[in-house]
Amino acid sequence: MAEPTSKQISKQISKQISKVSMAAAINTGLRRAMDADPRVIVMGEDVGTLGGVFRVTDGLRKDYGDDRVIDTPLAESGIIGTAIGLALRGYRPVCEIQFDGFIFPATNQIITQLARHAYRSEGALRLPVVIRVPFGGGIGAVEHHSESPEGYFAHTPGLRVVSCASPQDAYWMIQQAIRSDDPVLVFEPKRRYWDKAELDEDAEAPPLHAARVVRPGEHLTVAAYGPMVRTAMEAAEIAAGEGTSLEVLDLRSLSPLDLETVVGSVRRTGRLVVVHEAVTSFGPGAEIAALVTEHCFHHLEAPVLRVGGFAIPYPPSKVEHDYLPDADRVLEAVDRALAY
Amino acid sequence: MATREFRLPDVGEGLTEAEIVNWRVKPGDRLAINDPVVEIETAKSLVELPSPFEGVVERLLVEPGELVPVGTPIITVAMADEDGEPSTGDGEPSEEGPAPETASAPASAAEPPADAPRPAPVSTSVEERGHAGAMPTLVGYGPVASTGQLRRRRSRGGVLVTLPAPGEARAEPAAAPSRPAPREPGAHRPLATPPVRRLAKDLGVDLATVTPTGSGGTVTRDDVTAAAAQPEAQPEAQPRPQLAVEDGAARESRVPVRGVRRATAKAMVSSAFTAPQVTEWVAVDVTRTMKLLDRLRHDREFADVGVSPLLAVARALLIAVRRHPDVNARWDEDAGEIVVRHYVNLGIAAATSRGLLVPVVRDADRMTLPQLAAAIGEVVASARAGRTAPSDTTGGTITITNIGVFGVDGGTPLLVPDQAAILAVGQVRQMPWVHRGRVRPRSVVQLGLTFDHRMVDGELGSRVLADVAAVLEHPDLALARA
Amino acid sequence: MNETTSRAPATQPEIDPETVQLLTPEGEFSAHPGYPDRPDPDRLRTWYRDMVLVRRFDGEAVSLQRQGQLGLWASSLGQEAAQVGSGQALAPQDYAFPTYRDHGVVWSRGMDLVELLPMFRGTSLGGWDPNRHNVHLYTIVIGAQTLHAAGYAMGVQRDGAVGTGDPARDTAVITYFGDGAASEGDVSEAMNFASVFNVPLVFFCENNQWAISEPNERQTRVPLHRRATGFGFPGVRVDGNDVLAVNAVTRAALNRARAGEGPTLIEAFTYRMGAHTTSDDPSRYRSEAEVELWRLRDPIERVRAYLARNGHADEAFFAEVDAEAAKVGARARRECLALEPPAPETMFDHVYHEPHGTLAAERAWYAEYRKGFAAGGVR
Repeated sequence: MAEPTSKQISKQISKQISKVSMAAAINTGLRRAMDADPRVIVMGEDVGTLGGVFRVTDGLRKDYGDDRVIDTPLAESGIIGTAIGLALRGYRPVCEIQFDGFIFPATNQIITQLARHAYRSEGALRLPVVIRVPFGGGIGAVEHHSESPEGYFAHTPGLRVVSCASPQDAYWMIQQAIRSDDPVLVFEPKRRYWDKAELDEDAEAPPLHAARVVRPGEHLTVAAYGPMVRTAMEAAEIAAGEGTSLEVLDLRSLSPLDLETVVGSVRRTGRLVVVHEAVTSFGPGAEIAALVTEHCFHHLEAPVLRVGGFAIPYPPSKVEHDYLPDADRVLEAVDRALAY
Repeated sequence: MATREFRLPDVGEGLTEAEIVNWRVKPGDRLAINDPVVEIETAKSLVELPSPFEGVVERLLVEPGELVPVGTPIITVAMADEDGEPSTGDGEPSEEGPAPETASAPASAAEPPADAPRPAPVSTSVEERGHAGAMPTLVGYGPVASTGQLRRRRSRGGVLVTLPAPGEARAEPAAAPSRPAPREPGAHRPLATPPVRRLAKDLGVDLATVTPTGSGGTVTRDDVTAAAAQPEAQPEAQPRPQLAVEDGAARESRVPVRGVRRATAKAMVSSAFTAPQVTEWVAVDVTRTMKLLDRLRHDREFADVGVSPLLAVARALLIAVRRHPDVNARWDEDAGEIVVRHYVNLGIAAATSRGLLVPVVRDADRMTLPQLAAAIGEVVASARAGRTAPSDTTGGTITITNIGVFGVDGGTPLLVPDQAAILAVGQVRQMPWVHRGRVRPRSVVQLGLTFDHRMVDGELGSRVLADVAAVLEHPDLALARA
Repeated sequence: MNETTSRAPATQPEIDPETVQLLTPEGEFSAHPGYPDRPDPDRLRTWYRDMVLVRRFDGEAVSLQRQGQLGLWASSLGQEAAQVGSGQALAPQDYAFPTYRDHGVVWSRGMDLVELLPMFRGTSLGGWDPNRHNVHLYTIVIGAQTLHAAGYAMGVQRDGAVGTGDPARDTAVITYFGDGAASEGDVSEAMNFASVFNVPLVFFCENNQWAISEPNERQTRVPLHRRATGFGFPGVRVDGNDVLAVNAVTRAALNRARAGEGPTLIEAFTYRMGAHTTSDDPSRYRSEAEVELWRLRDPIERVRAYLARNGHADEAFFAEVDAEAAKVGARARRECLALEPPAPETMFDHVYHEPHGTLAAERAWYAEYRKGFAAGGVR
């Protein structure tokens, strides 16, 4: 479906149209989901009384009660493991992992159990568990609070992995993830939590796993997801002033990847740069590059280039902006691709 | 009576062999299912194997102390009756045997065998699960023994197996055709592999104007080299991304073209139209130039370089270009302008084993004669040796084609794309000529100048040709005109 | 036995006074103040049969592995009382999370044991629908199921199926795990969640003394049942080879859970008579003497002795049970041999419940790829 233009939005007089932050949009989405299905449960560390360290679950405990909004013990493996049990009993748990870097203790439950129950039971069991993960850097944090671990989970069959880049998408995607009968990891770009944009609660949502061209262009496609979509748009603005027309693609989903949209774009432009905060080496961009090379070989004017984190642990916050891809890093890759 | 073999199984998740330690039975013994048959020693432990069969021991196939690989037949058992089929769905409840030995090491006695009538055989041997000629399927863990019967691909290369093009996979996941991804209707992007694109770029070939002959509508390497070898004027049908204003501003001036019909750029493959090409001829008495060349050959400055008629022709052309810069131009369809270049990259057409190449001497107009001689010598030698790099053939502004080397007098050369003129030089011949009122043998050469009539009219073309001829006839004119 | 690991046997013949026992190894009834259960002949005969049949199935499976028909088997030999005693205490609406050795529990839930065979033969990763008999798939990742059980119990709470007083509605959850598993972080997390949320969950630890080659002392310095105190709920140790005591203790714990009184930890003190799995060789780390010691405490023998001595069963009964056991064994063999590998295309099934583009593309590719092979050319 076409994304509502700002003109369309401003015409609407419904009081549901407003500028909200991404965090608030997720909160609203959670409420819609909890209203729609009494079996939806929110659980995680500090999600109840505190409303979450990012306030994403603000007010939910007051409105939905202790039974449905659970402050769990400090145990990530425990959160996911018990969520599995709740799902087996018929509930639809929405877990929060407080920060990306703390997902690792839960990795065993996610990969060996959550991802495999459907397969192990040959379809008899379903685990409609959602795991919300604030991820990515640029917030001046200490170690382990700025990671991008989505690649490990996109690599795991049995899981679905998505990432929202705007309040509108965040609003849609959390609800769709909750409705899915498969386990879904939703990676929320924490440095964009406070970005505000129009939220049309009644607009029809695109499919959860559909990629979207957020800025059409001719000369080169920049594919990004999560926090890097805004970065890619910044780069596109600058490039436009220089006479280069970049097409920006919001991938929205890594597993599954909307290959059709990516390929359609690259076949038009002939060049692709993939941008993510995750480490470039063995990262999500490598998979996209391999797929695009295979499907667009004769259309490519240049190799697929990737802009991502260096092969280092996420560095101290004072140098994180030298580490994170920004518009300049994106444009450097664009220039290189165009020079072929 | 059917005979069954019991083959050594993998008892330990990946064990490959075992040693027979001790037989618990001998030929002629009656066997019930699960009766201990043999003790084996593996890398991990000492294990007792229970019999999978009911019957009479026929032969022990392995000696104690022998180490045998997993899958080796170790004992044959004559079955109680002829029914050798696996008893799936048999439903026969009366098969009974003693409780199996359950301790992991040879140890205490099993429960006493039930005192029951001899039942019909129920089990099937391991190898019956396999196929004729195949080693038995080793169920579960462990390395699978190499199979006797290998898969056979029906044909290699017959079926192109690719991931279905996106969109197809979604629509019909069960019946994906394995064909290369189709070109989108209305797509105007030429298809080519990266090496072919590079070649095209280096040869100055616009892929959009090349007719593709490769599978899937792709332009092949041969398509590109063929297009490059026939330097027909290639109209600019495809807008190229303009990174920035061309940085040759100081080196070029632009003349707006009025009243020119623009070619439309819809179709990318076939060229819209050909530049109108006109050729003019002149025969020149180059005797004086030949004598000059002889003197130059002994000049110290030309000691290391080749001095040939081609050098003289090149110099004469450069002089003519300086006097008539408009002939050193190209047609810019998009901008509706003729781009006059203030530098000369002189193309020297050369016949090579790869075909016709046009390596370029860059900024030839700025070279001294020795430099020009060296440069021309170098490019020609490289071309003949097959060492010309594709980048050496791009960016030419005007070209000389020396057809005299083939022993012909002249011809109508065809323009190299992005150029306004090309000069063909025939062989230098001794011919009867009127010199100072008398018929004398003189060195004569035919010159042919083809020019693009959009940019170069008859008068300009004639003047350029005449200037070249004049310098070649009277090389001392070069002093006046250089 | 490897001399470098020589050690005193894990257990002494005399019973730790903390351990609940109602039937001695010799088959004598010994009352316990905490549990009013008396030996009921009907139930004991039933449990005797259960244990014999489970043991026979288990033994047949070991044999089948030795004959190359199963890739692996984890034997429950020696643990029949712990599994049958506890399993038979469950109400139909209760839900059990087993490990991978709990064949006696699966039996007690009413599931056909042959459904266990595919995962050990390699034709499935599990395959049964847990909701048919309220017994979960076997979990191979050690201890992971205890968290699932805690979460399931949290769900039971939210369903309001705790403390209603209606025995058909009040639901308890039981999770099994071994002494080795008790060391896994997930088990501690599960106990913590269970305690903090006061869920209707029974933690049933089958302490069979060995985690492959590592003895109890390597897993804990304190008897395992005492861990419960640290988490804030009761723990009890029971003679795991005493089916009567196991049943009594488990029933009491399940009732606590159903009543909303929260979790209990039961440590069933038993012994792994066989190897860890068919790939293991226990002679490398434990002595025959120790195994002999435990053979004298066999769970089936003591029930047989009690029944025979007290006239509750005669030779005909025992023979009948043995005959039935032979049938169970034969049927296991037959069903096992009949298991065929699944068609390769099916490996793409059930990864997701909803369509997934990447998977769909691979499935389609694979179908095309298979067509390229000569007919009849199979591995």
